[in-house]
Amino acid sequence: MTIDDIKNVILEIIRDIDDEADLDNLNPSEALRDQLDLDSMDFLDIVMELRKRYQIQIPEADYPQLATLESCVNYLIPRLKAA
Amino acid sequence: MRSYPLLIIGGGLSGLAAGIRVARFGLKVLILEKHSKAGGLNSYYYRNGRLLETGLHAITNYAPPEDRHAPLNRLLRQLKIPRRALKLQEQEISEILFPDRTSLCFSNDFDLLQKQVKKRFPHSTRQFARLVAEIDAYDPFTPRPKISARTFVSSFLQDSLLVEMLLCPIMFYGSSDEDDMDLSQFVILFRSIFQEGLFRPTGTIKGLLDLLLQQYRNFGGEIEFSSGVREILADGNTISGVRTDTDEKITCKHLVSTAGLPETRKLFTTLGSAAKFSKLTENDSSGRLSFFESICLFGKSVRQRFPQKRTIIFYNLQESFSYRRPEEAVDINSGVICFPGNFQGNPKQDFVQMRVTHLANYEIWRNIYNEENKTLYAAEKKLWAKRSREVLGKIIGNCDENIVYEDSFTPVTIERFTSRAKGAVYGSPYKVKDGRTHFENLYIAGTDQGYLGIVGALLSGVTMVNQHILNKI
Repeated sequence: MTIDDIKNVILEIIRDIDDEADLDNLNPSEALRDQLDLDSMDFLDIVMELRKRYQIQIPEADYPQLATLESCVNYLIPRLKAA
Repeated sequence: MRSYPLLIIGGGLSGLAAGIRVARFGLKVLILEKHSKAGGLNSYYYRNGRLLETGLHAITNYAPPEDRHAPLNRLLRQLKIPRRALKLQEQEISEILFPDRTSLCFSNDFDLLQKQVKKRFPHSTRQFARLVAEIDAYDPFTPRPKISARTFVSSFLQDSLLVEMLLCPIMFYGSSDEDDMDLSQFVILFRSIFQEGLFRPTGTIKGLLDLLLQQYRNFGGEIEFSSGVREILADGNTISGVRTDTDEKITCKHLVSTAGLPETRKLFTTLGSAAKFSKLTENDSSGRLSFFESICLFGKSVRQRFPQKRTIIFYNLQESFSYRRPEEAVDINSGVICFPGNFQGNPKQDFVQMRVTHLANYEIWRNIYNEENKTLYAAEKKLWAKRSREVLGKIIGNCDENIVYEDSFTPVTIERFTSRAKGAVYGSPYKVKDGRTHFENLYIAGTDQGYLGIVGALLSGVTMVNQHILNKI
């Protein structure tokens, strides 16, 4: 997967969780939770959805690395290389 | 032998919600429901071709769609149920009525209650504002030892009548303790009932249950009805599975029980494992509060006579409000009167439905009930329904004329159909707030986990699975 593919996957997952999320004005280096008004329950859904789609296990200790769109992509690049 | 990563005992609201969460992420899950229908305490039955609801009066926790962090909206996102699918109808106005003394109305706009307190209890206005500020600042989800809600509320409000009036609806809608309740639960219910408000889905509880079932099945979840669990199989600190009423052994990695604390304990057949699950015996941990409820359908001509635009009336005739197991079979000195037709936007039906709920004594009804000969039990039900209508006559006007249909249920009915010990609708006074047990892979969800009402039950299932299961399977 390319960086753009991964970005699109994340945005698609977020849209699936909240179809009213404003993704057009997203700042990739700012926390997703603050910009999209997500709570910890929504955040868990992003993790679970990634797991369901690509069988990647994300340990709880790594959750901070998923804070922004940019950091999500960086975290997922090596893990989704083959996907 | 069948084997599942997750087994759930009970297809009520918490079990269905827990199941949806796990199935949504592609995991195999089986719900075993003892009854032939889903819903548990909030279900339905048919009489004379008419669908009648059990449990549901109104759903608490109303929130507008834009309030994303409100429990209702978080819950719907978690279950992936679009809000429009429910077609929510908000309540009209509800009332706390202590006849010959005073009344307080409330709606889904908290402002109304504040104004009513100001009008009826002018000397308590500032005290009430301080109480509300304290409730706003309180975090009811942090586990902590039980604190008396009555003591807490009385420490702000000097007028004991106002204390009783505020406690009345809150206790009726969720307290498993006699004459008091845990402060955390009080705070949750104060917010859910007064600050958020009441609503119902268009249609009946069956619509909501069907929606949940459909969602669960679409995600691949399995549910079996008329499938009771006879025994939970323990192996040291771990649950290995269950044995069903048909003697099938099903193994599992994780087990969620929504049956309740005393009811789950009963499923351990060895003394050692039962004691390990809970030191409290079934008798000690069963709740003492149960209810008698009458459902009445009237011809539409009574509509003019009955209170207009009233959704729910919580009344009390006694000097102080008694929320405890009554000495007699039914306590008609207080009750909850619900008009399920009086929600905003509800089209007028060709009949008027009224449901009345009173505290009831389980032991008395248990002694009257005889499986082989129900004559005495039926007569007693009729008698109390009549007495209830007589009292109601004084409160809302004549309820004896123009009855098209009437049915009542008792604590025994509740116990028979929901397996809730002693018909204790709000479960055990002992709650397992974090859902954990002494078995590493057994969790409690539902009423005895401690969240209340329909939204609470669903959130309980969601939260327990989020916290304990999703990160482990």
